[in-house]
Amino acid sequence: MSESAELERAYRRLVAFYPRSFRRENEEEIVTVLLATAPDGQRRPGIAESIDLIRGAARMRMSLSRTPHTVHNAVRLMYLGAVAELGVLIVLWLTEGSIRAAVAHQYPMLTAAQMGQLNTVFTVDLAVGAAVVPLWLLMAWWNSRGSQVARLAAIVCFAFCTTGMITDAVTGSPQFAPAAFTAAGVVWLIGLAAIVNLLRKQSVAYYQRQAAL
Amino acid sequence: MQEATFLILTALADGTQHGYGIISEVAKISGNRVRLRAGTLYTALDRLRSDGLIDVDREEVVDNRLRRYYRLTPTGTTRLAAEAERLQANATAALTRLNPSLGMI
Repeated sequence: MSESAELERAYRRLVAFYPRSFRRENEEEIVTVLLATAPDGQRRPGIAESIDLIRGAARMRMSLSRTPHTVHNAVRLMYLGAVAELGVLIVLWLTEGSIRAAVAHQYPMLTAAQMGQLNTVFTVDLAVGAAVVPLWLLMAWWNSRGSQVARLAAIVCFAFCTTGMITDAVTGSPQFAPAAFTAAGVVWLIGLAAIVNLLRKQSVAYYQRQAAL
Repeated sequence: MQEATFLILTALADGTQHGYGIISEVAKISGNRVRLRAGTLYTALDRLRSDGLIDVDREEVVDNRLRRYYRLTPTGTTRLAAEAERLQANATAALTRLNPSLGMI
């Protein structure tokens, strides 16, 4: 093996410490520069340049794994969303009587059986709300780990939340359950803020880097 | 802004440079005081690119080896100018305060 080929192989072994995403784009160029700056007849990398490359790789790995503030914000908002969702459940439970009264007042012709169906609606609402609280917590934990799938899952969950809000709005929730609808609106706004943070440039770059590490 | 960063941006201030060119320019600008190593250079270039201060201008293949040319972005130009003014103001202040005492020697 020629001296330069031996040196090049040694440089490539050092460059291998860098993250894969960086090597994919820069390995050929960095090896070119290393070879260009090497004195004639050099067979293996010097100690100082080996340390420099390993230090550079360590720094890059550390900076790549550093979570940007936009992702921190999104995760905090998701924890807040879990608390707010719990608030919606409490409001719904506390205002159940006034919601029934509002429905009865609006539709005086409803039979007892039809009014009884409201129980099913309340049960479903409370069950869905109770399931959404741990979902918020799961999304916060999962996204804090930098998972691309978690980010997509959060976006899908927010789409469902938005659909739910629109459905509630057109089926009379603002009229019969203004307090619960307002509380749900607060939850939706928290979700929107979390998603906006997840879609910020720094967040997108972070999730891409994490996937490439 | 770290000195190496300042010098890299300065090396790109009057035109595009490839990696080896930046190392040579930085050595020239600093009077051979700062000799960038490849690991330091590429870690800095990667950070400057993600911060939007520099960008890749073009790529060439010379003797079967890749050469990537970098250029300052408008943001990089603004940041470098601001940093140069800050350093100049500090240097002026230091020299102004030193001059009376130097005059007494």
